[in-house]
Amino acid sequence: MSDPAVISVKGLRKSYRDTVAVDGISFEAYRGEILGILGPNGSGKTTTLKSILGLVLFDGGSIRVLGYDPARDRKRILRSTGAMLEGARNVYWHLSPDENMEYFAGIKGLSRSDIGGLRNALVERLGLGEVRRKELREFSNGMKQKTALACAFINDPALLLLDEPTLGLDVETAGQIRGMLEEAARRDGRSILVTSHDLDFIEAVCDRVLIIKKGRILSHETLDSLRRRFATKTFLLDLDGRPGSETVAVLERLGETALTDAADGCSLRIVLRDAGQVYPLLDALRSGGMGITDLRTVESDLEDIFLRMIRDGADAPA
Amino acid sequence: MPLHNVFVAEMRMLLWELKRYLFNTGAMVVVMYILFLGMFWGVKAIGGAGITTTSLDSMVIGYVLWMSALFALQGTGGVVQSESERGTLEQLYLSPYGADVIFLFKSITATLFNFLVITLMLYLTMATTGRVLRVDLLYFYPVLFVTLLSLTGIGFMLGGIGLIHKRIGAVYGLLSFGLIGLMLLPVYPLSGFSFIPFVAGAHTLNEHVVNGTEFPVWWHLFVLGNSLLYLWIGLAVFRLFERKARRLNKMGQY
Repeated sequence: MSDPAVISVKGLRKSYRDTVAVDGISFEAYRGEILGILGPNGSGKTTTLKSILGLVLFDGGSIRVLGYDPARDRKRILRSTGAMLEGARNVYWHLSPDENMEYFAGIKGLSRSDIGGLRNALVERLGLGEVRRKELREFSNGMKQKTALACAFINDPALLLLDEPTLGLDVETAGQIRGMLEEAARRDGRSILVTSHDLDFIEAVCDRVLIIKKGRILSHETLDSLRRRFATKTFLLDLDGRPGSETVAVLERLGETALTDAADGCSLRIVLRDAGQVYPLLDALRSGGMGITDLRTVESDLEDIFLRMIRDGADAPA
Repeated sequence: MPLHNVFVAEMRMLLWELKRYLFNTGAMVVVMYILFLGMFWGVKAIGGAGITTTSLDSMVIGYVLWMSALFALQGTGGVVQSESERGTLEQLYLSPYGADVIFLFKSITATLFNFLVITLMLYLTMATTGRVLRVDLLYFYPVLFVTLLSLTGIGFMLGGIGLIHKRIGAVYGLLSFGLIGLMLLPVYPLSGFSFIPFVAGAHTLNEHVVNGTEFPVWWHLFVLGNSLLYLWIGLAVFRLFERKARRLNKMGQY
């Protein structure tokens, strides 16, 4: 990417007493890109997000947002930034969606007339039309969360930081939010940094994914590259019989093995630790007297990849 | 004028809340009216000849000052706690103008609303009872506004402590009743008590309305200085605790 980074994080460190929350994280995010941050609970996702926003003071490293240093130019950064940090709890339930948007625009220095057109567009895009003037407490979590997202967009931000934007939402609402984020990045050129446990959501919207565990980056690459890296090592083979115990022992030494009986033999799913081990795999099957009726590589979905990386940590296949 | 928009947003928020909690708003107005009526009629009836016109005026002004003081305290410190409970506190920190400006505007809008309701109820009570309390509003409110800035400062201190310790309701309870006692302290001419927040201004207003006492310019400047000093200290303490809350990632926790 030739554009200067919208977010540039270098060697970010943050500890709370004896607990290291973020341990030297570095990454960049660019204009028009959706960057996902994945990690188990307590991995440092939210601390990273809040450090970028200046809500958490970090111990070491440096952050630049939209070309500015948050320690010195936080005001400039916040003018062009929108954030949703606690989903439905980020808005006032005793106010309507319209009032919430007006209030949050106001504290960013915008008047009612400044946001008129954008507010209507957001109401329409998020399907808030029928409830826009009604008290939020009467409505579902999804409506509240959509209002929170509308408030994050209300200052027409160049950068959006969203913490778990689809948490607790039904499929339809999550789909609406997904569509809106894609449009915001691809059409409007906004940069979006999003954390989520919803792997399908991340897989559907993100260009790149940062996988972190215990405050450290395990992987930082595009989804395509992640899939390629893993797809070449997962093989699915149809065999004409069930391999004997000696052959199974050899297979298990080569990688994670799963055998499923089929009508005319057996299905073998094996995740090799190294793509080069495909030859020993074929040798083992041949010497075990197994005939191969079909062989294909399997594209791992993000959930497979994520779980494997979290389990194997830095030893995940490179 | 973007900063003006922040103030307008806070004014609107106040109006929306009054509208949403209409029963509460109505109850507050009615209770205030009944209390004023009680002071104008009831105390006289109970106290008989022992209660003088002056002590009645003093009681009314004392109540007005006390109510205003509570609004100013809650307008900052109480707001920090309620925003924290709701989960909206961090969003306020994402304002480019800073959360302290927002809390200051919240306190000012609450104070102005309080002035409006008190004035209306006071005049309504006077019309109902036929008893007139002569108040020079053009003197009373500017001095009261300045006086209350010191309590806004104290509210900021408590708000800052609330960012870390979350529940500090007991301190408000203590302060609310402590203020009544503080208002009785001898502060003029200058004494050690004069340096306590709010007290010098409260005494000035009480004496001015009840006994028609005129105070010299230097004393008014002292009241102004006292308020600005406590506002400044309050803001400094608030920022100190805010920094600590950001270091400990306590801003979003409740």
